[in-house]
Amino acid sequence: MAVQIVMDPTGDTRHEFTAGDATAVAKAERRFKQLTGTGFTAAVRTAEGHSKRIRDFDPAAEETIFFPRLQGG
Amino acid sequence: MSSDCLLTAATFSVLLCALLTAAFDLVELRTRRGGRIASQRSKPEQKADALLKEWLSPEQRAALEIYGHFEVSGSHTGKRYRIRRGRNMNIDEVSKEGDLGPVWCFGPVGHLPLGDVMLAQKLALETDEQATLAVANRSRRRY
Repeated sequence: MAVQIVMDPTGDTRHEFTAGDATAVAKAERRFKQLTGTGFTAAVRTAEGHSKRIRDFDPAAEETIFFPRLQGG
Repeated sequence: MSSDCLLTAATFSVLLCALLTAAFDLVELRTRRGGRIASQRSKPEQKADALLKEWLSPEQRAALEIYGHFEVSGSHTGKRYRIRRGRNMNIDEVSKEGDLGPVWCFGPVGHLPLGDVMLAQKLALETDEQATLAVANRSRRRY
């Protein structure tokens, strides 16, 4: 089971999908494009404590996290 | 002791009891209401804190528990940054010698719980340091 974790004011919202389910994967890809299109950055975990930014949807990624656009403080 | 004195003492005792009971009820009500509000407010914070810990390395998690900060390496320069608990001005550049350098300030837009802010700061520096520092503000450390 793969999961997309989206940071939000509630802490986060998680969207789970099965990699073998074509409909669910297509929905996850649409969510990926919609989020990154509105300024979210996507990153996948590569090892414990390590992650990598991704610019394209990766259906094989077990965990993808999205955080909002950054601004200077 | 006259009956007047006894009556006055009894009345005083009853009044004192009533006052104390009312005061205890008020304190209990405020505590219960305060606790409810606190737990509502802290749920997103607790969730974000759990998410942050999930994405930290064991060393970073331990440092956060013990010192209230953890360190990350910039993806382009390999420089070390110390992320302290906080939303603003909470990122210190750390020199190779371990001295604290400039303070960096950036964070995700919108109102996110603290754990999310710190996790976004970590992910941003570890995955795209250059782009992150391009939007960040840099201040000299004041001693």
